[in-house]
Parts: sequence; C-alpha cells; structure tokens
Amino acid sequence: MAKKAKSRTIAVRLVSMALTGYYKTMIRPRTHRPLSMLKYDPVVRKKVLFLEQKRGGR
Amino acid sequence: MFPRHYIKLAEGLPPRLTRFFARYPPQAILPPKEQEAAAQAPSPFKPHKHPVTGKWHNPVFSLRRQAELVKLARQHGVEELLPHTVKGTEERIRRRVENGLRVKGTGVGQRVKGKESERMLKARLEKRRQAMLEMPKMIQTWKERGHGRGWKKWPK
Repeated sequence: MAKKAKSRTIAVRLVSMALTGYYKTMIRPRTHRPLSMLKYDPVVRKKVLFLEQKRGGR
Repeated sequence: MFPRHYIKLAEGLPPRLTRFFARYPPQAILPPKEQEAAAQAPSPFKPHKHPVTGKWHNPVFSLRRQAELVKLARQHGVEELLPHTVKGTEERIRRRVENGLRVKGTGVGQRVKGKESERMLKARLEKRRQAMLEMPKMIQTWKERGHGRGWKKWPK
C-alpha cells in the first residue's frame, strides 16, 4: 500500500521561556525554520520569548 | 480544723464540688497526719484493682463526669485540688502539643505533608523567577542572532 502523503504544514508548540508551562500552538510549513517570537505570557504578565519545542516522540 | 480561707473557699463552691471534696478531700489541704492515708486511697478518677478479689473496677466517676467536674472546678479556680485526670487542663494541653489538631502533622515539630504541587510550589516559583531575570539577556541574544535564525538551543 502506498504511504499516505505528509501534509505540507505542521502544528508546532511554542513554549514560554519564562518556564511557566504556558505555550501557544501555531501552524507553519513543514520546511520552514523553527518559529520563535516575543509573545505575552499571562502567568508572568509580560512579553517573553517563545521558542518552538523540538518535535518527535510525544 | 481547717484554716478560715479554706472554709470561705468551700462556701463559694457549687454543691457538686463541695460534695466531691468532702468525699475525696484533696491532699494539699489535709493535716499531715491524714495525708498518708489519703495518698493510699485509690483515685476516684482511675480504675482500681480490688485488693481481695483482684478484679478490676471502673473508676467511681466516668470520663464524662470527670470532664464535668474539671470544667466546674476550673470555673471556680480550684482545678489543682482535683486528683489527676486525663480530662484535666494540663493533660489536654500536653496532648494538644503532642498531636496538634486532628489533622496529621500539626503537632510541635511535625509538618503537614501537603499535596505534591504544594510541596513543589516554592521551587517552581524560584525557577520562574530565575528565568525572568535571564529574560532580557536572552531576548537580546535572540535579536542579535537574526530573530531565531541562528538559534541552536531549542527547548525539548
């Protein structure tokens, strides 16, 4: 049987680097570089750096 | 006989207490001759073994009535004249210190275990605080490395 084609985009998890456990889920093209952005973390009530979590083996 | 202030004290007591003290006179106020005999008499607040049959008999006063007597005596300030009882204030305080409330771990020198999250709370907040102190530096390097283009350390 032919393998099912991988989708062009993937959902990724951007975790707050304030180590609060807060995260945002975003969608990016599979071939794109990992996402990272400044976003608001409601736990510490500040804009902090969010980095994409390494994927695989959840 | 008895000094005057003892008589005056006894007149101020409720009949229930005076009856008790008449039947079981406290050692502290007895003349020295009778003290020995009183010391050997069994406490009405304790179970006692019959000297002849060797059988155990219940205390003359039940725990409920002991507690009532203690309460009454405490109100009139003569609690130390009662024989030793587990319902006494001293004993109660000792037990409270030893055991605390009914909750396990509230006695002296004990700790309440708490939930896992409650025990880890301090460490978690400390970790977060450290991360927030590092944040401006981290954002600075992130901006310098092309907003993540050269970033190597991605979180697991």
